[in-house]
Amino acid sequence: MIKLRNLDFRLHSGFALNIDSLDVGEGEVFAVIGPNGAGKTTLLNILALLQEAKPGALEIAGRNALAPSDRTELRRAMSYLFSRPYLVNDTVYNNVALPLKFRGERDAGRTAEMLEIFKIAHLRDRNANQLSQGERHRVSLARAFVTRPRLVLLDEPFSSLDARVKETIIRDLGGITRAAKTTVVLVTQDQEEALALADVIAVLKEGRLLQRGGPQEIFSRPASKEVADFVGVETILSGEVTAKSDNLCSVLAGGGTLEVVSACDIGDKVLVCVRPEAVAVSRAPEANSVRNHFRGRIISAEPWRLEYRLAIDCGFNLIAAVTKQSLDNMGLKPGDEVYASFKATAAHLIRR
Amino acid sequence: MEFIFSGFLKGLSLLFSGDAEVYSIVKLSLAVSVFATAVSVVIGVPLGGLIAIKKFPLKKIVISLVNTGMGLPPVVVGLLAMLFLSRNGPLGFLGWLYTPAGMVLAQVIIATPVITGLSLSAMQSLDRKFYLQMLTLGAGQWQALWVCLREVKLSILAAVIAGFGSVISEVGAVMIVGGNIRHQTRVLTTATVMETHMGNFDSAIALGLILLGLTFLINVALTFIQQQKARAE
Repeated sequence: MIKLRNLDFRLHSGFALNIDSLDVGEGEVFAVIGPNGAGKTTLLNILALLQEAKPGALEIAGRNALAPSDRTELRRAMSYLFSRPYLVNDTVYNNVALPLKFRGERDAGRTAEMLEIFKIAHLRDRNANQLSQGERHRVSLARAFVTRPRLVLLDEPFSSLDARVKETIIRDLGGITRAAKTTVVLVTQDQEEALALADVIAVLKEGRLLQRGGPQEIFSRPASKEVADFVGVETILSGEVTAKSDNLCSVLAGGGTLEVVSACDIGDKVLVCVRPEAVAVSRAPEANSVRNHFRGRIISAEPWRLEYRLAIDCGFNLIAAVTKQSLDNMGLKPGDEVYASFKATAAHLIRR
Repeated sequence: MEFIFSGFLKGLSLLFSGDAEVYSIVKLSLAVSVFATAVSVVIGVPLGGLIAIKKFPLKKIVISLVNTGMGLPPVVVGLLAMLFLSRNGPLGFLGWLYTPAGMVLAQVIIATPVITGLSLSAMQSLDRKFYLQMLTLGAGQWQALWVCLREVKLSILAAVIAGFGSVISEVGAVMIVGGNIRHQTRVLTTATVMETHMGNFDSAIALGLILLGLTFLINVALTFIQQQKARAE
């Protein structure tokens, strides 16, 4: 659906977006994640033909987007949702029908269908200015899908919504994109959003595409420290592979030896990445198949979203995620001695 | 004081006496100013909108020029229009000098920058992303511009009111270009000036009162429409 090659784009501010190659397949939900200022919105603006850029090649829906005789025609194959829904001062129905009107079409059935799908049929005659933020987002989504676009570009579309509204909208959106096999490019800082919707995730930082892959690959097997940092790997240790048996590498790191399943070789300088969710915490040592066990002391226990983050001094700092229930049941508090463990398959090595 | 009072009385009697000459002056004043305002709206509103939403080199200079145009001295406009429309001028072939058409032209030159400037300012109050959002929904440039202008219609209406106000009360340009010819180019402002110069203060006051009343009525109508829309929103 999208083929972008050799993009070297500079803004007046000096910011540069450099992407050698970006492909988005038909019907794919492609999420671009990255911190603020990474160039995510600029990338979407280029794809939506709102930003003048001269990449080596840009194909959208099988058409050369660099020489469009009519940009409007090409834009009509897609929809673009900004992070803030820009609705016209009119009824909900007229807002949703607006893209059809631009195309000289009148399809009342389709408009009504969108109102139903996005659960705003009861608001059809209300002025858009009288809606709540969540309702405005729903109207904006219904408007984006009313023309059955082949490609939908979403720029942090749920950033201003509370968690409950966001969850229901994401669920509805996922349903309609899967049913219509719509190609979606979603730009977000929220990794949970990306995980909930994306087939493929790309990590963008400072205008460079750092990694592209399936959600599992990105979150469990980051290709660089920058990606690991961004996707929530909180324990990153420098080390060296000192032994290897089959794929099980022994890595000297943090003053101890860790065992990690990896394709790295003996002598490789590596970074050991361990996600907080991969670390189990117990009061007593446990005999099981887990390869990495450490005795340590809790340095801190901080709430983090719906969980707690424990920082455990095991000779190196190991971060573990535990639920509040576990924290309470085990009575864990800073200063306590605990046993932490993680599987050899749960850690990941990045060559330095 | 007495002549002022009698002027008011004469004004009222002229208003209600059905004086044919007064009515022809009123009719021409309205026709010229309404037509000039309409032409200025057709030019100024889209132009102001385009300047606001488009990115182009020297945009700030263009905006400064429009703002300068909002304060154009009418006599200078009249002088230039007369020179252009005079027999040897570049527009002399039109034969518009000392005709209502020439007066409309002069008033268009005065009102267009006012309407352009205020429309531009109204559109700049709208987030440019709104315009871009319309493009991404499949709007052509003019469709997107039209939707944006509708979003700021109350401010656009204020621009129309200001544009009309600038021409209905204008005297310098119409005097020079129109020549204040009886039954042909005499309008309320030029007639008022003439009567004042002739010492006919009661007639001047009468004409002034009519001008004030007309301006008031038209502005009441436009403001009423504007406020109705504001309430509806």
